[in-house]
Amino acid sequence: MIQVNMQLDAKGLACPMPVVKTKKAITDLEEGQVVEVQATDKGSKADLAAWASSVGHQYLGTVEVDDVLYHYIRKGSNEPEVKETFDQTVSLHEIESRNGLILDVRESAEYAFGHIDGAKSIPMGELESRLEELDREQEIYVICRTGNRSDLAAQLLAKNGFTRVFNVLPGMNEWNGKIKKEI
Amino acid sequence: MSERVAIIAANGGLFDGYKVFNIATAAAASEKEVQIFFTFEGLNLIHKQGMHHLEMPEGKEHFAEGFKKANVPSIPELVEMAQELGVKFIACQMTMDVMGLSKDDFIEGIEVGGAVTFLEYAKDASPTLTF
Repeated sequence: MIQVNMQLDAKGLACPMPVVKTKKAITDLEEGQVVEVQATDKGSKADLAAWASSVGHQYLGTVEVDDVLYHYIRKGSNEPEVKETFDQTVSLHEIESRNGLILDVRESAEYAFGHIDGAKSIPMGELESRLEELDREQEIYVICRTGNRSDLAAQLLAKNGFTRVFNVLPGMNEWNGKIKKEI
Repeated sequence: MSERVAIIAANGGLFDGYKVFNIATAAAASEKEVQIFFTFEGLNLIHKQGMHHLEMPEGKEHFAEGFKKANVPSIPELVEMAQELGVKFIACQMTMDVMGLSKDDFIEGIEVGGAVTFLEYAKDASPTLTF
């Protein structure tokens, strides 16, 4: 199951209701959070994807189970601002030939719809409470969508005594290699 | 891209109502500014009583079942939703005069205007749609 911040039941509703309901519901989310929209309207997939791109949200993908469509949308597409950038960086193509851990700090729904094989998922918001899952001796390559969230995550790790941490630049939005899905 | 959508509703059947209000609510949900200019039979769509009894085109009455099955919202529901989303309704003064209607014959929250009112709004709109 894909972890989300909110579920919205729009099953049985016809166009334009799934979009209208999603618009209303998403106002209660914070930037960067993810909503799961459950719909039976077959047109809702194309509609929600178009709607999200038109109003500036990030459409992550759709899963169909037993005639119900589960759409995943992340509110806003702006990444957090980074005031002082983390100085240890590594390029996207370099990480393929290195042996450390790829740490994906995007939301779990973003991870589910496509990540680098072998990458570990810890969403940015959970990182501080899950530090013990990481090996301090290992090189860690922190990745997100564009390189901003991962920059903040790398800083957080450094603050907590991790020294072999690198921010991956750019992020998954420029990744052309193989992608693994977990949906 | 324009952030403004202009719609002319010139027909008053049930199908016309869906075309107008589906596009209008979808546009408003996409954070567009939306104004609908209701003229001639289109006034039916916001008439207090008329909007509850919009007719299917002749020979198409069998679609009633399909509407029910698809769980399509009713026209009054769509109208309410459109207004909630900030869609502005303008009733055409000239048609109202011709038909002997006053502002009280229509649902709450509408405005009355003439062709120039609409043209002024529509000059910066894209798309402008006519139903």
